[in-house]
Amino acid sequence: MMEELFNAIVDLREEDALKIAREMVKDVGAVKVLDTCKKAMEVVGEKFEGGEYFLSELIWAGDLFKQIMEFTLPALQQGEVKKVGTMVLGTVQGDVHDIGKNIFKVMVEASGIEVFDIGIDLPPEKFVEAVEKHKPDLVGMSCLIASSLNAMKHTVDALKEAGLRDNVKIIIGGGRVSEPVMKYTGADAWADDAARGVRLSNELIGKKG
Amino acid sequence: MLQKRRERLLAAAELKEPDRVPMMGFAGDIVAAYAGFTSYEVHYDFDKARQAAVKFLQDFPSEMSLAGLFGVNNFVPALIFSDSPDLAQGLSIVSGPVHDILKDKYSRFPGRELSENSSSQFIGGTYMQPEEYDEFIADPVKFSFEKVLPRTAENLKDICSPKAMATMIRLGMEMSSQGEKTRAMFADLMQLGIPPLPMGFGYAPLDYIADYLRDIPNLIMDLRNYPEKVKAAAEATVEPIFNLAITAKAMGSPFVFFPLHLNEYLSPRLYKEFYWPTLKELIVRLLDEGIKSHVFFEGRHDAHLETILELPKGWGIAYFEKTDVRKAKKVLQGHTCVCGGLRASLVIGGTPEENDRYVKELLEEVMPGGGFILAPDVAALPRETPIENLRAVYEAVERYGYY
Repeated sequence: MMEELFNAIVDLREEDALKIAREMVKDVGAVKVLDTCKKAMEVVGEKFEGGEYFLSELIWAGDLFKQIMEFTLPALQQGEVKKVGTMVLGTVQGDVHDIGKNIFKVMVEASGIEVFDIGIDLPPEKFVEAVEKHKPDLVGMSCLIASSLNAMKHTVDALKEAGLRDNVKIIIGGGRVSEPVMKYTGADAWADDAARGVRLSNELIGKKG
Repeated sequence: MLQKRRERLLAAAELKEPDRVPMMGFAGDIVAAYAGFTSYEVHYDFDKARQAAVKFLQDFPSEMSLAGLFGVNNFVPALIFSDSPDLAQGLSIVSGPVHDILKDKYSRFPGRELSENSSSQFIGGTYMQPEEYDEFIADPVKFSFEKVLPRTAENLKDICSPKAMATMIRLGMEMSSQGEKTRAMFADLMQLGIPPLPMGFGYAPLDYIADYLRDIPNLIMDLRNYPEKVKAAAEATVEPIFNLAITAKAMGSPFVFFPLHLNEYLSPRLYKEFYWPTLKELIVRLLDEGIKSHVFFEGRHDAHLETILELPKGWGIAYFEKTDVRKAKKVLQGHTCVCGGLRASLVIGGTPEENDRYVKELLEEVMPGGGFILAPDVAALPRETPIENLRAVYEAVERYGYY
């Protein structure tokens, strides 16, 4: 059954996946459904990075995952699932885009990271406040337009000034980020697609260890 | 110089070798900052935008430039007036004052929803429900006018009201004043030897539906849930977009610019089935009228690169963002003029030496044989862009760009 669900998600067979997942929640429990979804979404990410899948498939898979979670999460007992880590996520100052952030968010949550999504067009102090409040393992900064790349640097600087920089790993994401932008901003990792972002976020948590 | 620069562009578009590789320059907020203006000022005061463009292009001249043009695309009014060639093209970009007049929900502007030094941005939204596809398909212009415009422009909410009429009159007055100021800016640029940009706009039919009606994630879901309707909607949009794009001919523009959005999102199967056929039809029909298309293949277009070869040779300019232009040049050599190659992130975050070396190595590979226009992957640079990096790029083009 788990293999059937796994395959249905990876192959994006929506009806099959929903049907099997519903039965599984009843028969073997929500935790197993969650685990299977997590593994399947990881493979979807791998297929994306390998060039077999595209954003269209990531969006379909994310939607399917959300649909399964609608009836799986309420069936979970408290404390039944251990989070891999936590992340404060937001779009930096001057940028109001969130399509990329939202695609990434669904996938990174599927990977077991708890996300505190603090919104869009966020001045550096909002990130500082959120890091003080949630004490996350990771900070994810999103930015689509090149004009706001500087805001990523200002946000990293603000975290430094607040003495919080060493407590977190920072990943920047968005269509226009790259290796030079990462170096310039002082972040720890960069991703210009969601799947890479999810993979690196998990690696960073591992490193933080 | 003006004539020389124009010839460079046209020669490259004709797949020939000009005297020097033509360049499309950088633009965006750096243009305002370089002249000491806020982003708000250049978005709302056309005289300041004009001064900023002149100052920037004096020091950073190029064969083609968007410097001084501040605003965002909104193709809905343009499509609605596609049968009025004297109005349509001017309406395809929303400026600060137009944003205020319409109170449009598609965009965010500095000094309004955003801080004074932010960029204007398009955010789109969902303004048509799936059950309305049939109504749109029956008449895209009528639907855009009667349904989309009132939903997306607060001041046109009741399209038959005196308030809406007043808004239209204000829009007309603003367009007339903007038109005059834009022509004055173009005259200044011609004085500087910079060919102005009398360029028409086009739009990929499926992008119209994704950007202005459904939003991108919803449209991707529609491809699964209502594939036939999406296809029919794209097909229905071809005619009004063609009517609009062809007005470029009367404006004396040799090119129509298509900024693509969904291309990067789609798998090759979806691209070929839903996106490419209607865009291809537009490009071919424009070419039949003597107009070349300048298509910005946003993001990674690698998976769809070969489909460009389905177009007639010399159809226009393929402008790439993340697709490696070296690879694109090899695939499209002798068939399509390739455009792109400059990296905004290196200008923002690199050093002058890195930028010089990057341009040198790039040009060595992509210049030979002609048919190449150097252009930024992302033209809009932030205010804080190091000027020495920008200078290094323009100097490198002068140093290494001659054939």
